[in-house]
Amino acid sequence: MILGIDLNAQTISGFVKDSASGEALVGAIIKTIDGKKGASTDVKGYYRIDLTAGIYTFQITYLGYLTQQRTITVSTQNISLNFSLSSNAVSTKEAVITGERNSKNVTSTEMSRVELSGEQVKTLPVIFGEPDVLKAITLLPGIKSGGEGGTGFYVRGGGPDQNLILMDDAVIYNASHLLGFLSVFNTDAVRNIEVIKGGMPANYGGRLSSILNVNLREGDEQKYKVNGGIGLISSRIMAEGPIQKGKSAFMVAARRTYIDALVKPFLTEEQKSNGYYFYDFNAKAHIHLNEKNKLSFSGYYGRDIFNFKSPTNQLVKFQIGWGNAAASLKWFHSFNKKFYSNTIFIYNRYDLNNKFEFGENGFQISSGVEDLNIKQDFYFTPNKKHSIKFGGQYIYHTFKPGIATGQVGTITINETINKQYAHEWAFYAMDEFKLGNRFTFNAGIRAVFFTQVGPYTERIFDSEGLEIGQGKTYDKSDVIITYPGLEPRLAGTYLINSNTSVKASFTRTYQFLHLATTSGAQFPADLWVPSSKLVKPQLAYQYALGVFKNFNENLYETSIEAYYKPMYNQIEFKPGANLFFNQNLENEMIFGEGLSYGVELFAKKKFGKLTGWIGYTWSKSTRQFDEINQGKPYFFRYDRTHDISLVASYQFNKKWSGTLVFVYGTGNATTLPTSRFAYSPGYDLIDNEPKYSFIDVYDKINDFRLPAYHRMDVSFTYLQKQTQKFESSWNFSIYNLYNRANPYFIYFVPDLEELRIKAYMVYLFPILPSVAWNFKF
Amino acid sequence: MKQLLNYLILGLNMLLLTACEKEITVDLPPGKASLVVEASINQQFPNLNYVYISRTIDYFNPDLSLNGVSNALVYITPGSILGNDTIWNDSARIQMVDISTIPGIDLLLPGFSGIYFNPSISPQIGVPYKLEITAENERIIGYTTIPEVVEIDTVFWRQEFDSQEGDTDMYVTFEFTDGPNQNNYRLAIQNGFNPYLLGWGSASQFRTFDDAFLNDGVRPYSFFRPFNFGDTLSLYLTSVGRKEYLFWESFARAANNGGPFATPISVKSNIQGAIGSFTGYGVSFRSVIIK
Repeated sequence: MILGIDLNAQTISGFVKDSASGEALVGAIIKTIDGKKGASTDVKGYYRIDLTAGIYTFQITYLGYLTQQRTITVSTQNISLNFSLSSNAVSTKEAVITGERNSKNVTSTEMSRVELSGEQVKTLPVIFGEPDVLKAITLLPGIKSGGEGGTGFYVRGGGPDQNLILMDDAVIYNASHLLGFLSVFNTDAVRNIEVIKGGMPANYGGRLSSILNVNLREGDEQKYKVNGGIGLISSRIMAEGPIQKGKSAFMVAARRTYIDALVKPFLTEEQKSNGYYFYDFNAKAHIHLNEKNKLSFSGYYGRDIFNFKSPTNQLVKFQIGWGNAAASLKWFHSFNKKFYSNTIFIYNRYDLNNKFEFGENGFQISSGVEDLNIKQDFYFTPNKKHSIKFGGQYIYHTFKPGIATGQVGTITINETINKQYAHEWAFYAMDEFKLGNRFTFNAGIRAVFFTQVGPYTERIFDSEGLEIGQGKTYDKSDVIITYPGLEPRLAGTYLINSNTSVKASFTRTYQFLHLATTSGAQFPADLWVPSSKLVKPQLAYQYALGVFKNFNENLYETSIEAYYKPMYNQIEFKPGANLFFNQNLENEMIFGEGLSYGVELFAKKKFGKLTGWIGYTWSKSTRQFDEINQGKPYFFRYDRTHDISLVASYQFNKKWSGTLVFVYGTGNATTLPTSRFAYSPGYDLIDNEPKYSFIDVYDKINDFRLPAYHRMDVSFTYLQKQTQKFESSWNFSIYNLYNRANPYFIYFVPDLEELRIKAYMVYLFPILPSVAWNFKF
Repeated sequence: MKQLLNYLILGLNMLLLTACEKEITVDLPPGKASLVVEASINQQFPNLNYVYISRTIDYFNPDLSLNGVSNALVYITPGSILGNDTIWNDSARIQMVDISTIPGIDLLLPGFSGIYFNPSISPQIGVPYKLEITAENERIIGYTTIPEVVEIDTVFWRQEFDSQEGDTDMYVTFEFTDGPNQNNYRLAIQNGFNPYLLGWGSASQFRTFDDAFLNDGVRPYSFFRPFNFGDTLSLYLTSVGRKEYLFWESFARAANNGGPFATPISVKSNIQGAIGSFTGYGVSFRSVIIK
């Protein structure tokens, strides 16, 4: 190691911030004007470059900000140098988005990683005037949308539970509002989102397919600001400002739907007591304690509420409420210029509560999952050739599959599905290092341990699902089972020339938490269950290979990536399994394998009046379970052979800009009945005819393809007013411009007159214009 | 829950006036043909002791009839428990007869086929029964026992004036006492002038539930939807075995499967050699005029 250090080298390091808000700019590029030395800022906006003594002119660039140049004399001392960049749009009154003319996508070892800013998300066409980060990421190659209007996403053939969704480091177990039509992320509060869909570095783990990092705004350290938007079904507002100018700041944001208020005038008196709404709150604050220490807090609370009171039966009413709560406290500490750390304490919870009342009788059922989490990351850059990260994480999971209380007749309900508790540990170390001028490697190892612990009492069931006794009882300190695992991570880049590289990566990942669902969509009642004696951890390997090339001084980015991802211990449920309040849930599970592979093509124009990207994915994803489909492999529900996304934005003038989106995807694989039978016959003496029910028979799983999904959306943004103190804009969107009837689901109806079974396809959204008003002051 | 969410999401779409549908052509490969059996015995109603045999048909086959299977040999044999063994009393074996062979049945019950019946069978509570069928060169076998009857205790109702319809809604509750043992229930509700069922399928509604959630006590069962003033309401609260319950519970979900979040549901048969069930019902019956 010592031999690798240039003894004449000095270090220049510091932070790059937004000049107005003081927020750290992540991924800003600092490089010498000749391009020979450079660095990119990390999540704290921190950079570090080793140089020999001399005079250097640095160029600092960041997407959407004015480029700066600064000449520095480097002598024998290390230099601390911070930069503050001004937003391009505010300073120049031009809304032309310029991009960083850098080749980071070519030179870094990162592959299969994409990033979008909250502002970029807002420019995309949206349905009902509601911008959404989860819908935005499904426009990227390798990331597929779950369905029409939904926020569910599927990465490289993985399931929805194989994505780790983090909001400021806190896990969000159910990221949807309105049953998936909107996500829990208020775009006004979002600074940027980052998706890692492969080549996962060793500091991340816990899920097989992807990591979605949603970073919220830090708060403006210089002045007070308010952002907001009024959409068709919800409105949102965000306020930020200094607590102590230049030292600490806050951000608060809120959002609520008003579907319930909008439809109220059209409802009868009895119906007015029914309603659905959701709301969420974000709060964030930070303080620079001194040059070396920074504390930040982030909190979230959101709920969906559905109230129902029978319009006819006055005694019957129920309420269903579900949502997430999360809080994180982060301490950034810099030991010296080369060594700093992040310590994070996190609490997060997802819960569902159902209350049912019928007269004097009633009961309440709740379920949920709760985590206490501590994370410690160290960053060490000993010299210009090595960038080392190491750390650990501990999570204490509490799973609450179901608690029921209430009174029905003389029966007092006090049932609890066994709670489960688990410790999850992870330790990692990784080093990104250079070998010569052309090779860069990121080698890491992650050691994981998952231990299910007491208190827990095993319950024993017969083949008919009846409890026939109790097995071993475990106390609080007892270990039920431990799963250790090693996850090697390796990524490498070979730089062919300054704008072309070949990259390869290999990852092995374990997943100890599993989502119990029988549907493609994520429901509020879906349960997260831990690995246990019966349920083994999911395991995946991913091999990826890619070629990255930039053209025309990095104006155009292109890439081609191929991946191969076998998955083991995949979980499905027996056909017809009942997951609701089921003590015997594990015995409804079956275990199998999955395989996914594909090729992703991506081309992006980064700056100029016309910007955007086009992505194409060819892929295949299958599953194999001995108990399903006669043991033969079948297509995963979201297998999509061809997938195309086109996003093009154009700045017409200072006032008007527009964005066009086109998406195409092979239809989802779905299971349709192959035969049917009449059952439960009887004779109706009033109608004088036989009565019976038809039951469907399914021979093959996901053997039928729904019609292809494609649509085009456009949006236009009109910058109504822009001053130093106030800015307002209108967003006009047309969703599904050419009125494509995209499949939502298929159902069948017997036509007794024509004596045939008719198939109907339901589609949700025809051509839909919408308008939203956004403001800032 | 899923049903509820289906309603919620479709309701929201209706509010937003967006959901649409159109007829499409679906080309499905033919399915594997299979025999289907519904065999029912109970201790109280001879007309509800029957076996129905049919076969599956391709999904888009325009035949919407019962598609019954005739010319089958159908036997039900009582047995007795001796230690861990069941001794079958072959001398008490009863052959169920294809009613389509009865002259004039077409006029009495048009559209029926594949129904096998014998008025002389008299099933008893707690006795094991064996079903044997030979049909289309297939052999089908099944077992059941009629569990102890859980009696309906009281039936009562409450009136509410329906201002929209201008009539009186009758909200009915009945009570029964669930014992400490595990019980499985199938409730058939007949709402009409005739309290008797001509086949279980002639009932107006069904509910299938067990006592996993509400056990050992007086248990009220309330109908959330109202009946009309003066209706004749007939309740068949039946106790069934666990395997039989699992079949009917899966049947209820398969029969009501639909909407955007529907998942393929296969019925959990409790017979060998065919899809279907052999169910012994311990029936408690009550018929009331609600006024």
